[in-house]
Amino acid sequence: MSQSVLHFALVGNPNCGKTALFNCLTGAKAKVANYAGVTVEKRSGPLAGLSRPAELIDLPGTYSLYVASPDEQVARRVILGEMDGEAQPDVLVAVVDATNIKLGLRLVLELKALGRPMILVLNLADEARRRGIRIHAELLAERLGMPVVETVAVRRQGVTGLLAALDTLAANVQVRSGRLGLPARGEAVESLYARIDTVLAECVEAPEFTPRWQDKLDALAMHPVLGLVILAAILLLMFQAVFAWAAPLMDGIEALVSWLGEWAGALLPPGILHDFVVDGLIAGMGSVLVFLPQIIILFAFILALEDSGYLPRAAFLLDRMMRGVGLSGRSFIPLLSSFACAVPGIMSTRSIPNPHERLITIMTAPLMTCSARLPVYALVIGAFVPQRPVWGLFNLQGLTLFCLYVAGIASAALVAWTARRQRGKSESFPLLLELPNYRWPNLYHFLLGLKERAWIFLRRVGTIILALSIVLWFLATFPGAPEDATLPAIEYSFAGMLGKFMQPLFEPLGFSWQMCIALIPAMAAREVAVSTLATVYAIGGGDAALGVSLAHSWSLPVALAYLAWFVYAPQCLSTIAVVRRETNSVRATLVFTAYLFALAYVAALLVRHLAALWT
Amino acid sequence: MPSKTIDGAVLPSAHTPLHRLPKGSRARVVGIASSALFGDMDDQVTLRLKELGFLPGAMLQVIGFGLFGADPIAVRINGTKFGLRRAEAEKVLAALQPA
Repeated sequence: MSQSVLHFALVGNPNCGKTALFNCLTGAKAKVANYAGVTVEKRSGPLAGLSRPAELIDLPGTYSLYVASPDEQVARRVILGEMDGEAQPDVLVAVVDATNIKLGLRLVLELKALGRPMILVLNLADEARRRGIRIHAELLAERLGMPVVETVAVRRQGVTGLLAALDTLAANVQVRSGRLGLPARGEAVESLYARIDTVLAECVEAPEFTPRWQDKLDALAMHPVLGLVILAAILLLMFQAVFAWAAPLMDGIEALVSWLGEWAGALLPPGILHDFVVDGLIAGMGSVLVFLPQIIILFAFILALEDSGYLPRAAFLLDRMMRGVGLSGRSFIPLLSSFACAVPGIMSTRSIPNPHERLITIMTAPLMTCSARLPVYALVIGAFVPQRPVWGLFNLQGLTLFCLYVAGIASAALVAWTARRQRGKSESFPLLLELPNYRWPNLYHFLLGLKERAWIFLRRVGTIILALSIVLWFLATFPGAPEDATLPAIEYSFAGMLGKFMQPLFEPLGFSWQMCIALIPAMAAREVAVSTLATVYAIGGGDAALGVSLAHSWSLPVALAYLAWFVYAPQCLSTIAVVRRETNSVRATLVFTAYLFALAYVAALLVRHLAALWT
Repeated sequence: MPSKTIDGAVLPSAHTPLHRLPKGSRARVVGIASSALFGDMDDQVTLRLKELGFLPGAMLQVIGFGLFGADPIAVRINGTKFGLRRAEAEKVLAALQPA
């Protein structure tokens, strides 16, 4: 028996739980959510627990081998061995949502026609049982001519049985190479479905049933008017929570950081090391660390929404509006993931079939406020916007944050609309969006996701933000002030010189030289704007609490202009790099960078002058 | 009111394009019509609709509509819910079933 690595591929309809199974079988932690198209690239991992070495490939969901939108083509090409430098899968692991077996079996029969070794996994078996769906697995296996295993991937049930079945298959499979031509469609869809109906009649007892509460929920969530009100309310609640719920925790972290600063300050003798630790390290990192609770709350909402099945409904509600500006419901999910970070958002535009729509989505993705901007927004809002209740329900701070997010979204719509006007209309691939069942978010995946996001944030604090804080402290400390200095020492430092060098450019916006300095390290990571301001003001002898320092030294119109700048500015090198990679065009990348900077400048200018008139 | 599909077959009963069915109504699919809206891609769209289960005889229920002009439309077919644009929905011909 050959001991070469055997390749197993997970194949199935979108959103049937392939990635959840992949995670169970390989111990990976790939992202799982309740909507179609979470996986846009194939990924693979070692499949442990078999008696011979094996690799498992996770593919994007597909409905069919014959009709393929571009994201489905990846799956097709891998299955058929058409992907260059990619081993053809030796065994196809077909995954079917047991609550939606008819649709799933159609693809299974198509795959079976390829004549490859196959196994059928009926996932979501618990949900099927709850609905009174009874599947006679042995009979089904006999009729289909392949082993059938039931699993509940998100609860890791049935995984042992699946591994045993895979092992049995593995023992008999010969590794083969070469391409597999797609056989001509041998059978019309009608007769394929007729065969499925025969098999289902024999093997499955399924009462005509969808839970009533799902339908009632849809009547509300997808109501043309009420649905939009609900969507707006959910988003408002999310931004309220970011401020209201995080406050006590943030106070705690802030107290801890300032205690640490005092403790270290008392321990170290006065001098350069004392200043470095207190003003550089602790002030710099601490000022960003404070925002951990807000990041966690934001992601708690995003993860719960992703897992609930609500997002495709939101895409449904917004499809018409997005089409009005030349996008479609298909752009919704890339744009939505950009609220976490534009980089994965831009990568997930690969699932958009229309190249023009894809480019527009890439161009507008950074206008969705990413989580790295949250600390900057929260700092400035906390310092300048009073915590006043509005209409009893909301507070002014949460409402301001909501407005900043809305400003980004509205601008994206405007940009997309302008771009469409230039190009004219183009035909669109059909929407045909599957609306999955609602389900309660799985606690394990939810907590795993939160932990992951918290780690990403802490890692950034510990690496890039730490490094930049150190560099910045040096720049802000050296060279020292001359003997006869009349101004604070920082004004004579490199940072002071740099800030003053930049300042004339930003003079019309009202930015002080301190604000200008913060814009530079923010190119590496936006949060660093906060730690930079903290370091600059700490060295400059400002108040211990950064917010208080800002409130003393910035005027309200300038603070608002600073926020406006951050809504638009393409201040993150990794975003620019990913745009370059995904568009593969220097020109598009330059246009992207230039238009966002121009927009940022104009918006900040307008905001400053309008706010000055008004206050 | 018998009428004909694209291939000339006589349809058994009165049929309505999907987007004209009232919200909440149940209907039986009688066929998929061709549409000029999708140009060269029309066959692909027809096939995709069939693959998703929009085949003669299948029962569907209209769940809801978007804000303007019945676009998009949500339907349930074979227990699965889908959102369709009006352009796709127009291709699906269905016979309204009594409640």
